[in-house]
Amino acid sequence: MITRRATSQFLVRGNVPPTPDPDILRQVACGEIGALGELYDRYQETIRRFVARATCDAEDVDDLVHATFLAAAKSAERYDGRPSCRPWLIGIAAQLLRRRRQSFGRFLAVLSSLRGVRPTAADPRPTLQARSDLERALIRISAAKRITLLMAEVEGLSCAEIAAALGVPIGTVWTRLHAARRELRRALEDGEAS
Amino acid sequence: MSATPCPRLFEAEAMRDGRLTGPKQTSFERHVAMCPACSREVQALEALAESVRASPLDHTAADELHVRRERTRLLAAFDRALLAPRRSWSAGHRLLWPAAVLGLVVAILFLPRVRRSAEAPEHASSAVVHADSTAVWSERSEGDRENVVLERGALWIHVDHSSGEGRLVVVLPDGELEDIGTTFMVSAEDGRTTRVAVQEGHVVLRLRRQAPIALGPGDTWTPDPRPVASAWASVVPSADPAPTTRIDRGERRTPSPRSSTSLAASPASDPSVDFRAAMAALDVGDNHQAATAFADFLEKHPRDPRSEDAAYLRVVALQRSGDSAGMKHAALEYLRRYPAGFRQAEVEPLSR
Repeated sequence: MITRRATSQFLVRGNVPPTPDPDILRQVACGEIGALGELYDRYQETIRRFVARATCDAEDVDDLVHATFLAAAKSAERYDGRPSCRPWLIGIAAQLLRRRRQSFGRFLAVLSSLRGVRPTAADPRPTLQARSDLERALIRISAAKRITLLMAEVEGLSCAEIAAALGVPIGTVWTRLHAARRELRRALEDGEAS
Repeated sequence: MSATPCPRLFEAEAMRDGRLTGPKQTSFERHVAMCPACSREVQALEALAESVRASPLDHTAADELHVRRERTRLLAAFDRALLAPRRSWSAGHRLLWPAAVLGLVVAILFLPRVRRSAEAPEHASSAVVHADSTAVWSERSEGDRENVVLERGALWIHVDHSSGEGRLVVVLPDGELEDIGTTFMVSAEDGRTTRVAVQEGHVVLRLRRQAPIALGPGDTWTPDPRPVASAWASVVPSADPAPTTRIDRGERRTPSPRSSTSLAASPASDPSVDFRAAMAALDVGDNHQAATAFADFLEKHPRDPRSEDAAYLRVVALQRSGDSAGMKHAALEYLRRYPAGFRQAEVEPLSR
């Protein structure tokens, strides 16, 4: 008799409900590659959309999605067992975005110290011109605020979940949300006025 | 003359962010019903959120093929990470440091006696091996790989991966066992592996003519003595039964698989079901059946996005089953169907 877990997962069919997220993550923690594929199929679209929005369409969206699922696989054994791992995956993606931002900031600082000049960011005007007022406003607010706003308003995470995912106090989440909304509203009002 | 803003206006955002609960929330909800300014603020916040949700900032929507390729890339990376030595240790593993050091000291002190039946010239500084009195084993290094060759008997092995980056592989009479964790026991008799039990970490067991088997903490693997016909026989006819094994999954046991009767009753035209059935057959080393199942999948679902994967996996299954002629034919078929296929570079040598 075959009692392999991977096999039992594949045997599930018909009207049987899909394998719950905690079970999938337990299988991933045991090194079952098929379970990671299942997790990817289930959430890649959500993570891709979140990362693309948070980075404003950066070219490394694929790499960030890839890194998110690999990091999730490495941490799978520490998953807390919530019925849906969607907030957890979004939290991992947000952490990776933060690290990416910090690395990029350090890179620019090193570059400027080597050249003795202030780093200049790429000219955003061509990109901005192609966007709506709201998109332009979203791109202009800081990445930390944008990510917090997207986690709350688009992904539907609670402030407590966002705070846990980003590793910041819940007060910081509230402050970022308030500031992000204020800046967006001001930018939209200015856009309408001009 | 401008109207004085409502002093409770800020509560609209507080309520949205979950800062208002219980009586305060109820009170504000009653207030919103009567206060036009707060009502407008609540609506404005919702409208802003709706605009953000509707804003298509993600202009690089991925097509199906792109997603499939990214998926393959992810699984390949996971596979590599699974087989590579673990460099990052979890907090739980870090707590085992003192025990590992103590175990190492004990092993160094008592090793000459423990290894009286061994022929190993040198011992890996990061591995502790205890052999039973009947064990016949040796050890040799190949670059960054430490091989422990077990001919018969039982070994208890603890590996401290944090002190080195090398791999430890136990070469068995009928395969090999790669350690990617910390503590496990392996035994062999009569030219075959008889038991693998993992206490901590993970190992990958690769037996000849079988798919790799990953074992985690608490898992015990033993070969199944009975030549049982594969559970997939009812899905795809097979010429010979698959090699079978038994794994007891510690505390993480999952429900037993369904009987073949229930499989026969299930619908067979669902592409996902067919693909998974073929994958499962491949996963358990049932290569003949996997090849047949992938061929059936290609015949039934030629337009499915996974058809290229299925064509490639059919080649893999035939190669593993030792059917050279079939493999060559399948490889040519893959190249004919997918002249610019994702696996072209791998398949081309197999078609010659």
